[in-house]
Amino acid sequence: MADNDLLAGMAEREEVSLLDILDHVLNSGVVIHGSLVISLAGVDLIYLGLNVVLTSVETALQHMRLEQLPTTRR
Amino acid sequence: MATSLKSRDTNQVLYLYGVSRAGEGIVPDVVGVDAAAEVEAVPCAGLVCWASRVNKTEFADNLARNMENLEWLAEVSVRHQQAVAAIAASRDILPARFGTVFRNSSSLAAHVEKHKAHLTRDLKRISGCEEWGVKVFHVRAQAQAAAAAKSGREYLRARAAALHEQAPPPADAEVQRLLCALEEVAAETAPGSGVVSRGQRGLLWQGSLLVKRLQRDQLQQLMGRFSRDWEGARRIELSGPWPPYSFVSRGPEPEASRG
Repeated sequence: MADNDLLAGMAEREEVSLLDILDHVLNSGVVIHGSLVISLAGVDLIYLGLNVVLTSVETALQHMRLEQLPTTRR
Repeated sequence: MATSLKSRDTNQVLYLYGVSRAGEGIVPDVVGVDAAAEVEAVPCAGLVCWASRVNKTEFADNLARNMENLEWLAEVSVRHQQAVAAIAASRDILPARFGTVFRNSSSLAAHVEKHKAHLTRDLKRISGCEEWGVKVFHVRAQAQAAAAAKSGREYLRARAAALHEQAPPPADAEVQRLLCALEEVAAETAPGSGVVSRGQRGLLWQGSLLVKRLQRDQLQQLMGRFSRDWEGARRIELSGPWPPYSFVSRGPEPEASRG
Protein backbone atom coordinates (compact mmCIF):
# COMPACT_ATOMS: atom_id res chain seq x y z
CA MET A 1 0.00 0.00 0.00
CA ALA A 2 2.66 2.47 1.05
CA ASP A 3 4.80 1.21 -1.84
CA ASN A 4 2.06 2.06 -4.24
CA ASP A 5 1.51 5.44 -2.62
CA LEU A 6 5.17 6.26 -2.97
CA LEU A 7 5.25 5.23 -6.61
CA ALA A 8 2.01 6.99 -7.44
CA GLY A 9 3.34 10.06 -5.69
CA MET A 10 6.42 10.00 -7.88
CA ALA A 11 4.49 9.51 -11.07
CA GLU A 12 2.19 12.40 -10.27
CA ARG A 13 4.99 14.60 -9.11
CA GLU A 14 5.97 15.09 -12.74
CA GLU A 15 7.34 18.43 -11.81
CA VAL A 16 10.53 17.27 -10.22
CA SER A 17 11.47 20.11 -7.96
CA LEU A 18 13.39 22.83 -9.73
CA LEU A 19 15.74 22.75 -6.78
CA ASP A 20 16.61 19.15 -7.54
CA ILE A 21 17.16 19.89 -11.20
CA LEU A 22 19.49 22.78 -10.44
CA ASP A 23 21.39 20.69 -7.92
CA HIS A 24 21.90 17.96 -10.46
CA VAL A 25 22.47 19.97 -13.58
CA LEU A 26 24.61 22.76 -12.14
CA ASN A 27 26.49 20.87 -9.49
CA SER A 28 27.41 17.65 -11.18
CA GLY A 29 28.13 16.16 -14.56
CA VAL A 30 31.40 15.38 -16.21
CA VAL A 31 33.71 18.29 -16.81
CA ILE A 32 35.19 18.60 -20.25
CA HIS A 33 36.47 22.08 -20.58
CA GLY A 34 34.89 23.76 -23.52
CA SER A 35 36.82 26.02 -25.79
CA LEU A 36 34.99 29.21 -24.97
CA VAL A 37 32.94 28.83 -21.85
CA ILE A 38 33.05 30.91 -18.75
CA SER A 39 35.36 29.18 -16.35
CA LEU A 40 33.94 26.39 -14.24
CA ALA A 41 34.68 28.50 -11.20
CA GLY A 42 32.26 31.05 -12.61
CA VAL A 43 29.46 28.50 -12.85
CA ASP A 44 30.23 27.26 -9.35
CA LEU A 45 30.06 30.75 -7.89
CA ILE A 46 26.70 31.41 -9.48
CA TYR A 47 25.49 28.04 -8.28
CA LEU A 48 26.59 28.74 -4.71
CA GLY A 49 24.80 32.07 -4.77
CA LEU A 50 21.58 30.39 -5.82
CA ASN A 51 21.18 28.81 -2.43
CA VAL A 52 20.11 32.13 -0.96
CA VAL A 53 17.83 33.15 -3.78
CA LEU A 54 16.18 29.87 -4.62
CA THR A 55 15.17 28.37 -1.34
CA SER A 56 13.11 31.49 -0.75
CA VAL A 57 11.45 31.64 -4.15
CA GLU A 58 10.84 27.93 -4.62
CA THR A 59 7.13 28.34 -4.05
CA ALA A 60 6.93 31.12 -6.60
CA LEU A 61 8.37 28.76 -9.17
CA GLN A 62 6.24 25.77 -8.38
CA HIS A 63 3.91 26.56 -11.24
CA MET A 64 6.74 25.86 -13.62
CA ARG A 65 5.90 22.28 -14.40
CA LEU A 66 8.12 20.32 -16.73
CA GLU A 67 5.40 19.55 -19.18
CA GLN A 68 4.73 23.22 -19.79
CA LEU A 69 8.13 23.63 -21.32
CA PRO A 70 8.50 22.97 -24.99
CA THR A 71 10.43 19.74 -25.19
CA THR A 72 9.83 18.21 -28.54
CA ARG A 73 9.34 19.79 -31.87
CA ARG A 74 5.92 19.30 -33.28
CA MET B 1 21.59 15.84 -39.71
CA ALA B 2 25.18 15.75 -38.57
CA THR B 3 26.03 18.03 -41.45
CA SER B 4 24.42 21.02 -39.80
CA LEU B 5 26.92 20.78 -36.98
CA LYS B 6 29.72 21.32 -39.42
CA SER B 7 28.42 24.46 -41.05
CA ARG B 8 30.44 27.55 -40.34
CA ASP B 9 28.07 30.02 -38.82
CA THR B 10 30.33 32.12 -36.62
CA ASN B 11 27.55 33.05 -34.26
CA GLN B 12 26.73 29.45 -33.46
CA VAL B 13 28.56 27.15 -31.09
CA LEU B 14 28.08 23.59 -29.85
CA TYR B 15 26.43 22.91 -26.52
CA LEU B 16 27.41 19.52 -25.08
CA TYR B 17 24.94 17.32 -23.15
CA GLY B 18 27.04 14.27 -22.60
CA VAL B 19 29.16 11.45 -23.93
CA SER B 20 28.28 7.84 -24.61
CA ARG B 21 29.79 4.77 -26.21
CA ALA B 22 29.58 4.46 -29.96
CA GLY B 23 27.02 2.30 -31.70
CA GLU B 24 24.30 2.00 -29.07
CA GLY B 25 20.59 2.46 -29.55
CA ILE B 26 18.55 4.84 -31.63
CA VAL B 27 19.08 8.58 -31.80
CA PRO B 28 16.31 10.20 -29.74
CA ASP B 29 14.28 13.03 -31.20
CA VAL B 30 14.91 15.73 -28.64
CA VAL B 31 15.25 19.48 -28.75
CA GLY B 32 18.22 21.32 -27.24
CA VAL B 33 18.59 23.94 -24.52
CA ASP B 34 17.52 26.73 -26.88
CA ALA B 35 14.15 25.03 -27.58
CA ALA B 36 14.94 25.18 -31.30
CA ALA B 37 17.85 23.08 -32.58
CA GLU B 38 17.73 19.33 -32.22
CA VAL B 39 20.27 17.32 -30.28
CA GLU B 40 22.61 15.40 -32.56
CA ALA B 41 25.05 12.54 -32.17
CA VAL B 42 28.59 13.61 -33.06
CA PRO B 43 31.22 10.86 -33.35
CA CYS B 44 34.32 11.91 -31.39
CA ALA B 45 37.46 9.92 -30.74
CA GLY B 46 35.64 6.58 -30.81
CA LEU B 47 32.88 7.88 -28.51
CA VAL B 48 29.63 9.69 -29.28
CA CYS B 49 29.05 13.26 -28.11
CA TRP B 50 25.53 14.62 -27.81
CA ALA B 51 25.37 18.27 -28.78
CA SER B 52 23.14 20.92 -30.27
CA ARG B 53 23.87 24.19 -32.01
CA VAL B 54 23.18 27.23 -29.88
CA ASN B 55 23.56 30.95 -30.25
CA LYS B 56 27.06 32.03 -29.24
CA THR B 57 25.95 35.31 -27.69
CA GLU B 58 23.35 33.67 -25.48
CA PHE B 59 25.21 30.52 -24.45
CA ALA B 60 28.86 31.56 -24.47
CA ASP B 61 29.46 35.32 -24.38
CA ASN B 62 26.57 36.11 -22.02
CA LEU B 63 26.31 32.76 -20.24
CA ALA B 64 27.34 34.10 -16.84
CA ARG B 65 24.92 37.01 -17.02
CA ASN B 66 22.08 34.80 -18.24
CA MET B 67 22.65 32.34 -15.42
CA GLU B 68 21.93 35.09 -12.96
CA ASN B 69 18.52 35.51 -14.54
CA LEU B 70 16.50 32.96 -12.65
CA GLU B 71 13.84 32.60 -15.28
CA TRP B 72 16.41 31.90 -18.00
CA LEU B 73 18.34 29.52 -15.76
CA ALA B 74 15.21 27.60 -14.77
CA GLU B 75 14.08 27.05 -18.34
CA VAL B 76 17.50 26.19 -19.72
CA SER B 77 18.45 23.85 -16.89
CA VAL B 78 15.14 22.01 -17.24
CA ARG B 79 15.74 21.61 -20.98
CA HIS B 80 19.29 20.44 -20.32
CA GLN B 81 17.91 17.80 -17.96
CA GLN B 82 15.22 16.76 -20.43
CA ALA B 83 17.71 16.32 -23.24
CA VAL B 84 20.12 14.28 -21.12
CA ALA B 85 17.27 12.17 -19.76
CA ALA B 86 15.94 11.47 -23.28
CA ILE B 87 19.35 10.22 -24.37
CA ALA B 88 19.80 8.24 -21.14
CA ALA B 89 16.55 6.40 -21.85
CA SER B 90 18.19 4.36 -24.60
CA ARG B 91 21.86 4.07 -23.56
CA ASP B 92 24.43 4.88 -20.90
CA ILE B 93 25.45 8.52 -20.97
CA LEU B 94 27.91 10.57 -18.94
CA PRO B 95 26.11 13.87 -18.50
CA ALA B 96 28.20 16.98 -19.12
CA ARG B 97 28.25 19.92 -16.78
CA PHE B 98 25.80 22.68 -17.52
CA GLY B 99 27.13 25.28 -19.94
CA THR B 100 29.87 23.25 -21.63
CA VAL B 101 30.21 24.96 -25.00
CA PHE B 102 32.59 24.36 -27.91
CA ARG B 103 33.50 26.51 -30.88
CA ASN B 104 32.84 23.73 -33.41
CA SER B 105 32.89 19.98 -33.87
CA SER B 106 36.65 19.78 -34.33
CA SER B 107 37.34 21.63 -31.10
CA LEU B 108 34.82 19.33 -29.37
CA ALA B 109 36.58 16.26 -30.79
CA ALA B 110 39.98 17.57 -29.68
CA HIS B 111 38.81 18.13 -26.10
CA VAL B 112 37.08 14.76 -25.89
CA GLU B 113 40.16 13.01 -27.24
CA LYS B 114 42.19 14.56 -24.45
CA HIS B 115 39.74 13.31 -21.80
CA LYS B 116 39.11 9.94 -23.37
CA ALA B 117 40.78 7.85 -20.66
CA HIS B 118 38.68 9.17 -17.79
CA LEU B 119 35.50 9.28 -19.91
CA THR B 120 35.89 5.62 -20.79
CA ARG B 121 36.57 4.76 -17.17
CA ASP B 122 33.45 6.62 -16.00
CA LEU B 123 31.30 5.03 -18.72
CA LYS B 124 32.30 1.64 -17.43
CA ARG B 125 31.49 2.67 -13.87
CA ILE B 126 27.92 3.80 -14.66
CA SER B 127 27.16 1.05 -17.15
CA GLY B 128 23.57 -0.21 -16.80
CA CYS B 129 22.90 2.14 -13.89
CA GLU B 130 20.66 5.08 -13.14
CA GLU B 131 20.73 7.65 -10.37
CA TRP B 132 18.11 8.14 -7.66
CA GLY B 133 17.94 11.06 -5.29
CA VAL B 134 16.91 10.42 -1.69
CA LYS B 135 15.91 13.01 0.87
CA VAL B 136 14.84 12.32 4.41
CA PHE B 137 12.81 15.01 6.14
CA HIS B 138 12.02 15.47 9.78
CA VAL B 139 8.25 15.64 10.24
CA ARG B 140 7.61 18.66 12.42
CA ALA B 141 5.27 19.33 15.24
CA GLN B 142 5.25 23.10 14.63
CA ALA B 143 2.69 22.90 11.88
CA GLN B 144 0.21 21.53 14.37
CA ALA B 145 1.17 24.20 16.90
CA ALA B 146 0.31 26.88 14.38
CA ALA B 147 -2.90 25.15 13.41
CA ALA B 148 -3.93 24.88 17.06
CA ALA B 149 -3.34 28.58 17.75
CA LYS B 150 -6.30 30.40 19.26
CA SER B 151 -5.54 33.91 18.07
CA GLY B 152 -3.97 35.44 14.98
CA ARG B 153 -1.09 36.69 17.06
CA GLU B 154 -0.50 33.23 18.49
CA TYR B 155 -0.66 31.76 15.00
CA LEU B 156 1.91 34.18 13.64
CA ARG B 157 4.17 33.55 16.60
CA ALA B 158 3.97 29.78 16.03
CA ARG B 159 4.62 30.22 12.30
CA ALA B 160 7.58 32.48 13.00
CA ALA B 161 8.99 29.96 15.46
CA ALA B 162 8.60 27.23 12.87
CA LEU B 163 10.31 29.31 10.20
CA HIS B 164 13.16 30.33 12.43
CA GLU B 165 14.04 26.91 13.66
CA GLN B 166 17.13 26.51 11.56
CA ALA B 167 18.61 23.10 12.01
CA PRO B 168 16.57 19.91 12.16
CA PRO B 169 17.82 17.35 14.67
CA PRO B 170 20.95 15.61 13.45
CA ALA B 171 20.47 12.48 11.38
CA ASP B 172 19.74 9.70 13.85
CA ALA B 173 20.28 5.97 14.14
CA GLU B 174 17.21 5.35 12.00
CA VAL B 175 18.76 7.32 9.12
CA GLN B 176 21.91 5.25 9.58
CA ARG B 177 19.77 2.14 9.33
CA LEU B 178 18.40 3.40 6.01
CA LEU B 179 21.91 4.14 4.71
CA CYS B 180 23.04 0.62 5.55
CA ALA B 181 20.01 -0.84 3.79
CA LEU B 182 20.63 1.36 0.75
CA GLU B 183 24.17 0.11 0.44
CA GLU B 184 22.77 -3.36 -0.14
CA VAL B 185 20.78 -2.15 -3.15
CA ALA B 186 22.97 0.55 -4.66
CA ALA B 187 26.13 0.05 -6.68
CA GLU B 188 27.40 3.29 -5.14
CA THR B 189 26.12 6.03 -2.90
CA ALA B 190 27.13 9.67 -2.84
CA PRO B 191 26.29 11.96 0.04
CA GLY B 192 24.28 14.95 -1.14
CA SER B 193 26.22 18.02 -2.01
CA GLY B 194 23.18 19.87 -3.27
CA VAL B 195 23.73 23.45 -2.26
CA VAL B 196 20.44 24.73 -3.62
CA SER B 197 18.08 22.32 -1.93
CA ARG B 198 20.11 22.07 1.25
CA GLY B 199 18.02 24.93 2.60
CA GLN B 200 14.77 22.96 2.47
CA ARG B 201 13.21 22.96 5.89
CA GLY B 202 13.46 19.83 7.97
CA LEU B 203 15.96 18.11 5.69
CA LEU B 204 17.78 15.45 7.72
CA TRP B 205 19.79 13.76 5.03
CA GLN B 206 20.13 13.85 1.28
CA GLY B 207 22.14 11.75 -1.06
CA SER B 208 22.32 10.10 -4.45
CA LEU B 209 22.37 6.43 -5.29
CA LEU B 210 23.76 4.73 -8.33
CA VAL B 211 21.44 1.78 -8.90
CA LYS B 212 21.43 -0.88 -11.60
CA ARG B 213 18.28 -0.53 -13.67
CA LEU B 214 17.51 -4.15 -12.79
CA GLN B 215 17.53 -3.26 -9.08
CA ARG B 216 14.86 -0.58 -9.36
CA ASP B 217 12.13 -2.72 -7.78
CA GLN B 218 14.29 -3.59 -4.80
CA LEU B 219 15.00 0.10 -4.24
CA GLN B 220 11.34 1.01 -4.33
CA GLN B 221 10.36 -1.82 -2.01
CA LEU B 222 13.02 -0.70 0.44
CA MET B 223 11.77 2.88 0.32
CA GLY B 224 8.21 1.72 0.82
CA ARG B 225 9.23 -0.27 3.89
CA PHE B 226 11.01 2.68 5.48
CA SER B 227 8.15 5.04 4.64
CA ARG B 228 5.79 2.77 6.55
CA ASP B 229 8.14 2.37 9.51
CA TRP B 230 8.69 6.11 9.73
CA GLU B 231 5.17 7.32 9.31
CA GLY B 232 4.60 10.50 11.33
CA ALA B 233 8.28 10.87 12.23
CA ARG B 234 10.23 11.13 9.02
CA ARG B 235 9.28 11.53 5.41
CA ILE B 236 11.23 10.12 2.44
CA GLU B 237 11.37 11.83 -0.92
CA LEU B 238 12.67 9.71 -3.76
CA SER B 239 13.44 11.41 -7.09
CA GLY B 240 14.49 9.74 -10.28
CA PRO B 241 15.56 8.03 -12.30
CA TRP B 242 18.17 10.67 -13.13
CA PRO B 243 21.05 10.29 -15.55
CA PRO B 244 24.11 9.48 -13.41
CA TYR B 245 25.03 13.13 -12.78
CA SER B 246 26.55 12.54 -9.36
CA PHE B 247 28.72 9.58 -10.33
CA VAL B 248 31.05 11.06 -12.88
CA SER B 249 34.44 12.36 -11.93
CA ARG B 250 35.23 15.99 -12.42
CA GLY B 251 38.22 15.02 -14.51
CA PRO B 252 41.65 16.53 -14.54
CA GLU B 253 42.20 20.17 -13.72
CA PRO B 254 41.77 22.59 -16.61
CA GLU B 255 44.66 24.20 -18.33
CA ALA B 256 44.82 27.93 -17.86
CA SER B 257 44.28 28.73 -21.51
CA ARG B 258 40.98 29.55 -23.14
CA GLY B 259 40.68 28.61 -26.74
